[in-house]
This record gives sequence, structure tokens and C-alpha cells, in this order.
Amino acid sequence: MAGGATTPAWLLESEAGAFPIGCSGRRRRGNALEKTLDGLAKIVRQAITSEETAARPGLLQSLDARAKLPGVVALLVAVGLVRHIPVLAGLYLFTLGLAAASRIGLWGFVKRVWLFIPVFTGVIVAPAMFSFVTPGEVVLPLGHWFGHEVGLTRQGLTSAGLIVCRVATSISLVVLLTLTTSWPGLLSALRALFVPRLLVLVLGMAYRYLFVLLDSISEMVVARRARTIAAGRNRHGARAAASFSGGALFGKAHALSEEIHQAMLARGFRGEARTLERVRLRAVDGTWLLACLVLAVLVVGGDRALGL
Amino acid sequence: MHIPDGYLSPATCAVTGAAMVPVIGTACARVKRVVKDRHAPLLALGAAYSFLVMMFNIPIPDGTTAHAVGAVLIAVLLGPWAAVVCVSVALVIQALFFGDGGVLALGANALNMAFVMPFVGYGVYRLAARNTSLTSRRRALAAGVGGYVGLNAAALCAAIEFGLQPTLFHSANGTPLYAPFHLAQTIPTMALAHLTIAGAAELILTLGVVAYLQRANLPLLRINHPGVVDTDEELAPTRGLPALRWALIGIATMIVLSPLGLLAPGTAYGEGASADLNLHKYGLSAIPSGLQHYNGFWKHTLLADYGFASGRHSSLGYVLSAALGALVVGAAILLFVAVGRAVARRRPDVQTG
Repeated sequence: MAGGATTPAWLLESEAGAFPIGCSGRRRRGNALEKTLDGLAKIVRQAITSEETAARPGLLQSLDARAKLPGVVALLVAVGLVRHIPVLAGLYLFTLGLAAASRIGLWGFVKRVWLFIPVFTGVIVAPAMFSFVTPGEVVLPLGHWFGHEVGLTRQGLTSAGLIVCRVATSISLVVLLTLTTSWPGLLSALRALFVPRLLVLVLGMAYRYLFVLLDSISEMVVARRARTIAAGRNRHGARAAASFSGGALFGKAHALSEEIHQAMLARGFRGEARTLERVRLRAVDGTWLLACLVLAVLVVGGDRALGL
Repeated sequence: MHIPDGYLSPATCAVTGAAMVPVIGTACARVKRVVKDRHAPLLALGAAYSFLVMMFNIPIPDGTTAHAVGAVLIAVLLGPWAAVVCVSVALVIQALFFGDGGVLALGANALNMAFVMPFVGYGVYRLAARNTSLTSRRRALAAGVGGYVGLNAAALCAAIEFGLQPTLFHSANGTPLYAPFHLAQTIPTMALAHLTIAGAAELILTLGVVAYLQRANLPLLRINHPGVVDTDEELAPTRGLPALRWALIGIATMIVLSPLGLLAPGTAYGEGASADLNLHKYGLSAIPSGLQHYNGFWKHTLLADYGFASGRHSSLGYVLSAALGALVVGAAILLFVAVGRAVARRRPDVQTG
């Protein structure tokens, strides 16, 4: 190779705001086991994406998690209290602005929220638009049922729209938080919010060992598939395998916890959890928190001014 | 059952969250006392385990998936307070890191799945398992039933939280501001999904894992069952008798009290003789011919109307009828069990795996 071996440029490039995207091409309908494997892989992928975006420079990334978490919670409460669709839409646009300022790929951000909405919220909310669930003024009559007019009601449509907008905005806010905050940051934020020390310690360890157990499960599933000769349907066998895997996994988890405990003892653990010295909050963190609180109050106040 | 943000009003979230604060506090204190300084790694791994159990999805015909929660399983293995901590931690990780379940709704989700579910399920398990040995089948089955009941209790709580929203929070023109369905709609919907598929998944998981540990890893079951003997042979031989004695005493009492039925006025709906029919009430002019024909079709009864043919000594007739009936039903059940056992013995054990 002339000019010496260099790393190709495309390998060094980091994709701006890369989001986990499903495999392209035709997808075979897998069974429950394969779907679970996919799900496990998705967890790892999501965690890696979050770590990546949290390390990138940007507006939300530069904030301390101890200010970011309460700020987001204040905004979530405001979203919960708002009663008008246009106000919610405005708040949603605000989350888009935050995402752009935090260098999160907008298309992926929008897709992540709106792919979830029709599947879960849409199915649940759709029946509520009809007069038999939400009685009221029928705006789109669909016929008569035992002498009563049946159709989509104004109240039902407004209610469905409200829920969809509220769920979308809430999810967007939480996604913004998770994509821009490292796990240790979140833990320190929880500690600052008076969550018991034991719980924070357990949270940190659970998240760490989640991936170890995840590896174990993947290995167990792959091993089982490697030993399966025919793709025959054996319901009893599958059920037994699930039980055995569950039991064996608990055994592994327990053995691991013993080892961790011994390792902790060896390092001087005496039943008291300690955390690292905290960095002082900066002015920008205080500004963010204040801005969030003011925005929340303004939004709820403005919403009430529009009428109940 | 993970409720996302936006379905519950902030007030509901605040109330459920406030309810969970003392629960979590008590759980932390209790767990510290029970498992001492090894609590942290054990609980952490329990939480990770709970998280992964919720990952195993079972496809439902309508296209969505159901998953077990595993709260009752952890309650059986590590105790209900440990289950509170483990499932809560799993829910926090899901909400804050994977966007599954809301952040504001965390209190409601924890109340349903990390408090109601393990405690109801564990209570059922303890009641059903009673004094059986650690390896008895009944104990595994009790764990499974506990899981089933616990999950449905959690689903009921979620349905109530959803169903209260339109009643409590609506605008002036009746537009529901949060989840739009009423209790009469949410409870049957949640019950249908959880009594069938999700409940079955929880039952199979809990029963299967406990049964597996009974055979393969008994020390794990001993963590939360100190002082429970390993096998049925080690149990005191008279264990089963008191229950049977109490059952017999109960049945005998009911037989003796059966003449109380004579005091009740009128007849039970649909059980009266055709002569007692109030034809006018139903707009009829005569007793329907089919009713007339088949009424009294079977006349060869030993104790007609729970009494003697002479019509005298009616109390004695009632007692005799009750005793005879109880004997016949008891004999039928015994016969049924005996046939079942004979069939089971004839069929050789099939090993699967």
C-alpha cells in the first residue's frame, strides 16, 4: 500500500447524533427468544449511544446533573399541568430547540419519540375519541346505535390530542435528560435530591452489573440455540428452558453478589457507602435551574390565562 | 404496566410518590437489618435480575407483548422488603435511562409493581405454602399462584389509577385532561390482559424458577426460608391432620345448622314449583307446556324437598339430607382423586429438556 497504512477517514468520523437504527433489508419474523435477544442488544446499543452523546460538547451536556434533573422535573410537572394543545406544542418545539443546542441529531430525536407514540399511546387513546367512551358534542357522526348518535366527539378528540402531545413532550424531555447525562452524573443528582444513600449505591451497582448479567443471558440463549437441532415447536421445552434459565441466572447473580461483597470487604468496605467529593455548582447550573422554574411557572400561568 | 408520563395527573403522581416515600424508607432500614452489610451487592444483583426479567417479552396475538415482572419471585427468594428495593431500582433505571415508564409516574409504577405486587403475592404464597417443606411441590405451586395474584393486584391498582383520572380531572365541557377511560372500562381491560397472558407468564416464571431451584440450587431458597425443613419426610407426621379435622368440624357444623333454611320465607328464584308461579307477573295466561311436562319429570328421589315423604320431622329431614349429600359429594371427590392418581401412576415419567 503506497504512502503507508493509515486509518481510513470514514472510520475516524464520528456520526453526528447517531441513533440506534434497526437492521435494514428484509426482516424475518423471529420467535420470542430472538426478539428477546434483539431487545437485549438494544439495551446495550442505547446505553452506548447515551454515553456517546453525553460526552459530546453541547448545551445540556455542559450542565451539572444536579441542576439538570430538577430542572427537567419542573418542566415535566408544567407539561403535566398544561391543558391546551397549542401550549404543549410550543413546549415540544422548545425541546427540539434544546436538542439542537445539545447537538443531538434532530431527525433521530423526533423519530425516537414518534415511533413510540402510535404504537403505544395511539392504540390506547383511539377508542376515547368515540362518543361511547367520551360523551359530548358529536362532530363526526358515524351512525346510530339504539337511537343514540355515535361518532367522534369534540371532547374525545381534544382529550386524545392532549394526551398524545403531553406524552410526546414528556418523553422528549426525559430522552433529552438521558442522552446528555452520564450515569454517574445522574446518581450524584439523585443523591442531591435526598434519595437514600443505600438506594443510590444499589442503583449504581445494579446498572453496572446489569450488563454482566446481560452477557450471561445472551450466552445462555446463544448456547441453547446452538444446541437446538430442528426448529420444531416444543412449547413445554421452551417453558422449561425459560424456567431453567431464570433459575440459573439467579444462581449466577447470587454467586456474583457474594464475590462482589468479598471484593468490597477486601477494599475496606464497612457497611457505609461513601461518595466522591462533590464539585461545586457553577453559575450556569443555577441559571438553568432558575430558567426552568420560571419557564414552568410562566407556562402554567399562561395556560390558565387561556381558560380552564 | 409501565405507566408513561402524561397519562396520570401530577396530583396523582404526587400522592402515589408520597405514599412510596415511607415504604422505601422502611424497606431500606429493614433490608439493612436482615442482610447486614452484604445488602448492597445482593440487592443490586436482585435489581439487575428484576430488570432483565422484565426484558423477556412474550408475544400477544394483538401484536403487542407482555412480560413478567418477577417481583413475587424476588419476594420469595429474598423477602418482600428486598423485593421493594430491587423492583424500585429496576424501575428507576428503566425510567431514567431507557425511557420505559415515566419519571413523574415513577411513584405510581413503584406503588403498583414494587409494593402492592410483592406484598400481595408474598402473602398469598405464605398462606398457600403453609408449613410445607422447602422441596414440596405445593411450595412451588404456591409461589406461582402468588405471582399470578400479585400481578393481577398490581394491574388492578394501575386500572384504578387510570380510571380515576376522567372523574377527577376534566375541563368545564367534560373533556378528560388525562387518561380518558372510566373505571368501568379500565378494570375489565386490564383484568382481561393480566388474568390471561401476563398472569400466565408470571405464574410460569415464578413456579418454574422456584421448582428449578428446589431441584438444582436449594441453598438459594434457604436465604429467605430459615428454619424450613428440606423434605417432606422431615416434617412431623401429624402435620396434615389438624387441617382435615378443622375441615370436618366445619362441615359437621354446617350440617347441624342446615334446618335454618326452613326459616327463610318464599322460594329461591327459579326454583319454585310450577304451581307457585305468578303467571300474571310474566304476562302469561297458562303454565308453558314444556315447563308443565318436564316439571316433576324425575320423581324417584330419596328425600324429595330435603324431607321425608310423610312431611313430618322436617328439621331431621334437612339434617339427614345434608349429611347424605356431603357423604355422596365426598365419595365422588375421593373417587375422582383415586382415578387421577391411578392414571398418573400408570403413565411413565417423561423427561424433557
